[in-house]
Amino acid sequence: MKTIKKHAHLFIVSLIILLGIVFFIAINTGTIKVSFIQLLKGLFIEYNKDVASVYQIRFPRVIVIMLVGCALALSGLLFQVVLKNPLADPGIIGISAGAQLVSILVGIFLPEFYTVKPLLTCLGGFLTFILIYSLSWKSGLKTTRIILVGVAIHYTLTAIISFIESISSSISSSVGSVILYTWNDVQLLIVYILPILIILCFLTKACDLLGLEDRTLLSLGINVNFYRFILSLLAVLLCSISVSISGILSFVGLLIPHLSRLFVGNKHCYLIPTSGLLGALILLIADTLGRVIIAPYEITPAILMAVIGGPLFIILLKRSSMHES
Amino acid sequence: MKVKNLSFSYHQNPFIENLNIEFKENQITTIIGSNGSGKSTLLMLLSRIYKPQTGFIEINQQNIQNYKIKEFAQKVAVVHQKNQINGDQDVKTIVGYGRLPYLHYSQKLSQEDYEIIDWALEVTNLKEYKNRTLKSLSGGQQQRVWIAMALAQKTPYLLLDEPTTYLDIRYQLELLRLLKEINQKYKITIIMVLHDINQAIQYSDNIIAIKKGRIIVEGKSNEVITSEVIREIYGIDLKMTQLSKQPYVFTV
Repeated sequence: MKTIKKHAHLFIVSLIILLGIVFFIAINTGTIKVSFIQLLKGLFIEYNKDVASVYQIRFPRVIVIMLVGCALALSGLLFQVVLKNPLADPGIIGISAGAQLVSILVGIFLPEFYTVKPLLTCLGGFLTFILIYSLSWKSGLKTTRIILVGVAIHYTLTAIISFIESISSSISSSVGSVILYTWNDVQLLIVYILPILIILCFLTKACDLLGLEDRTLLSLGINVNFYRFILSLLAVLLCSISVSISGILSFVGLLIPHLSRLFVGNKHCYLIPTSGLLGALILLIADTLGRVIIAPYEITPAILMAVIGGPLFIILLKRSSMHES
Repeated sequence: MKVKNLSFSYHQNPFIENLNIEFKENQITTIIGSNGSGKSTLLMLLSRIYKPQTGFIEINQQNIQNYKIKEFAQKVAVVHQKNQINGDQDVKTIVGYGRLPYLHYSQKLSQEDYEIIDWALEVTNLKEYKNRTLKSLSGGQQQRVWIAMALAQKTPYLLLDEPTTYLDIRYQLELLRLLKEINQKYKITIIMVLHDINQAIQYSDNIIAIKKGRIIVEGKSNEVITSEVIREIYGIDLKMTQLSKQPYVFTV
């Protein structure tokens, strides 16, 4: 682990390469197979029936999964930074549920608003966040209160969601459904997520600074609440957009940032890219395995991620604490 | 630095009422008082963490609330009671944060900033530790890092809230001597809260004793403390004597 921390930038480069390899494997998993050369030819030079169907069906799915993994991991990381609590995760504190609720309501009542659905979902996520924040603000930020209030809101909203789903059986966002994504979904995600990623590149220093106590920051002339507001906004956006496309995927936001921290430490200039890439990589692996293991049936990536990620995380945590002591 | 008609309350209970203080420039002033007397609250008000309900605090004839947040951080540096950092930053990075009041968000440290950081590390005897992480240092060294960060702010005022808490006696004395040296060499006005009466007498020029948000006595540190004052502040009787021409309180 220590050698990885020293060469964090090399680790990030190897993650990018690994992601490329897994991407190729993922689009080649299934009944149709294309070689790398065929793929390049089919994409850029001449029409190839196999490549075309891979392009239409698997590409969107693989790209959506990667973007969602990246967004959720970063959202979790930002919440942990902003709320100064290692347990913060958009799933746990109810932000995802808030976004999901709005997403479902829009799906039922305003299906014609497909393109602005992510925006409305974000609004849902943001309202939930404001609710949690205002309910847990008692002369200062008490992080345990935030988690407790968040968990309570999460359960309340989840119950409402199940209620709505049970009375309108036509809508199914439940686990186990076959996931079909189109290039439209990819476009939507890119339009919303890419600008956030670019903004985040400039905010690594702010994330580092939030590791200090609030009053220390105030005494250094830093407008803490402004930083916190911007980062929370980005975190809520990242989470809500993913929810509007792919529903709730829990655990990614909690697992990936901690995993990344074990690898590259606490410097956000490394931690942010590592979390994003690792989120994309691990969710993509989980999704691809989920398509293979009991084919032709599928296991959703959320389930596989939890099954593999949970134990893996505990093993790594134990190993790293052994090194520390 | 002057405090004028200052009042402050938590949840409608008046806590500090109509306080008037004039802190002597270029001297060390220590605020003492029992637990819950309002001494830390006063320091929080002076460092602009809390906002007074009525009255104001002024520096250079200007209300501190009217300073921009960065301007104020160029005037007053604060070492808070419990300083924590969630991360593995090294000492020179943390001391470098002391330059933030002078920088825009994305501005890099200049040659001058680095010289000031080196100076702050030198004064606090931390040069050899500058590449270590904060967490690998002892409690006394960590406290010196926070003081170095405050020094790097290059402010005329330095406020400290119980800087010796959690330190053993050796580190306590090391720290207080360091503060005395900083005050004398660099003419920085120091205002701090201390628990130990004898340390307050020994290391400060002036003492302000407060109880229930009101001043009991204020004045030269070797004159104001008497058995009566101690009974008034803490409600207990303690014997006193003279030790090398300074009053000394038996705190056992």
